[in-house]
Amino acid sequence: MEQGIPVFYIFSIPVYDYITTMWGIMAVLIVVGLIVSSNLQKVPGRFQMLAEYALGGLLNFFGGIMGPELARRYFPLLMTLFLVILFSNWSGLLPGSSGTLITGFHTPTGTWSVTAALAIIVFVSVHYIGIKEKGWHYFAHFFQPIFVLFPLNVIEELVKPLSLSLRLFGNIYGGEMVAMVLLGLFPLLTPIPMQILDILFCFIQALVFTTLTAVYISMATAESH
Amino acid sequence: MGSMFNVYTFAFEIFNFLVILAILYKIFYKPVLNFMDNRRNEIARNISESEQGRTEAEKLLEEYRATLLASRQEAQQIIDRAAKAGEEVRQSLLAQSRNEVAKLLENARKEIQRERDDALQALRQEVVSLAMLAAGKILERNITGDDNAKIVNQFLDEVGEIN
Repeated sequence: MEQGIPVFYIFSIPVYDYITTMWGIMAVLIVVGLIVSSNLQKVPGRFQMLAEYALGGLLNFFGGIMGPELARRYFPLLMTLFLVILFSNWSGLLPGSSGTLITGFHTPTGTWSVTAALAIIVFVSVHYIGIKEKGWHYFAHFFQPIFVLFPLNVIEELVKPLSLSLRLFGNIYGGEMVAMVLLGLFPLLTPIPMQILDILFCFIQALVFTTLTAVYISMATAESH
Repeated sequence: MGSMFNVYTFAFEIFNFLVILAILYKIFYKPVLNFMDNRRNEIARNISESEQGRTEAEKLLEEYRATLLASRQEAQQIIDRAAKAGEEVRQSLLAQSRNEVAKLLENARKEIQRERDDALQALRQEVVSLAMLAAGKILERNITGDDNAKIVNQFLDEVGEIN
C-alpha cells in the first residue's frame, strides 16, 4: 500500500496516485499564486495580506537562520519546499486521502518515494550552493577538523537526506495510521481532536523540513573555521 | 525497502518539484517580493521626502517671518519719514502764508493812510476856497488888500494847525 496505486500509464511508465495528488496540489498553488500576483495592491486586501504575511514572515524566519542575503537568494527553493510539503501534509487531512477511497488521491508526503525525492533535491541543492558560494574550497570542510574524519563527514552528509526524508515520511505516514486506527476503534468524535492537532503537526513537519534545509545551506556556505 | 520505495514516483516527484519551483518563482515569489520591496522603498522614500519637506517648510517659514519683520520695519520707517516731511511742508506753508498776510496787511494800511492824506488835502483846499468865498462876500466892501492878505494868512495858519 505504501507504493500506492498506479492511476494511469505514460508509455508504460506508471503514474501513481501520489503523483496525481501532487499535480492537484501544484495546480492549487499555481492558482493561489496567480490570484495573489495578478492583483497586487499597494493597500493589500485580506488575501494579499495573508500571502505577504506568509512570504515576509518566512523570509524573516529564514533570514534569522542563514542571514537575510542568503535567505533572499534561496528563498524560492525554501518557500517551495515549505508550500509543497505543507499542502501535501494537509491533503492527508481531507477525507479519502488514503488512496483506497478515491482513485488518484493519496497524501504525497505519506510515501518515502516523495519525501526521498524532496530530500535528494535538498541534498543536491545544498552541495551545489556550497560550491557556488565558496568554490572548490567548499570540499575542504569534509577534511575538518582533521582529515582522518573525512569518512565520518561523508557519512554525515549522506545521512542528512535520509533523516530528512524518513522523518517527514514517518510522521505523516504514522499520523495517517494513528488516525485510521482511532477511526476504527472509536469512529465517532474521537478522531476530531487528533485531526485538529494534525493541522498543527503538518505545519510543524513542513517547517522542520524547510528549517533543516536552511540550516544545511547556511552550514555549507559558512566560512570554514 | 522495495515495497516502501517506488522509483517512478521518486523520479516524477523530482520533476514535479522542479516544475512547481520554476512556476511559483515566476508567478508568485518574484512579483510579490518585488512588489513588497518596491513598496517598502517607496514608503521609505516618502518618509524621507516628507521629513525633508518639513525641514524645508520650516526654513521657509523662518525666512518669511524674517522678511515680514523687515518689511514691517521698513514700512514704519517710510510712514515716519512721510509724516515728518508732511509736517515740514505744513510748517513752511504756514510760515509763507503768515508772511503774505502780514505783507497784505501792511499794504492795506499804507493804502488807507494815503487815501486819508489825499482826502485831507482835498478837504483843506475845499475849506480854503469856501472860506475865501464866504469872507469875500462878507467883506466885499470894507476889506482892503492888506487886510485881505493878513486874514488869509491867519486863516491858513489856523487851518495848518488843524492839519
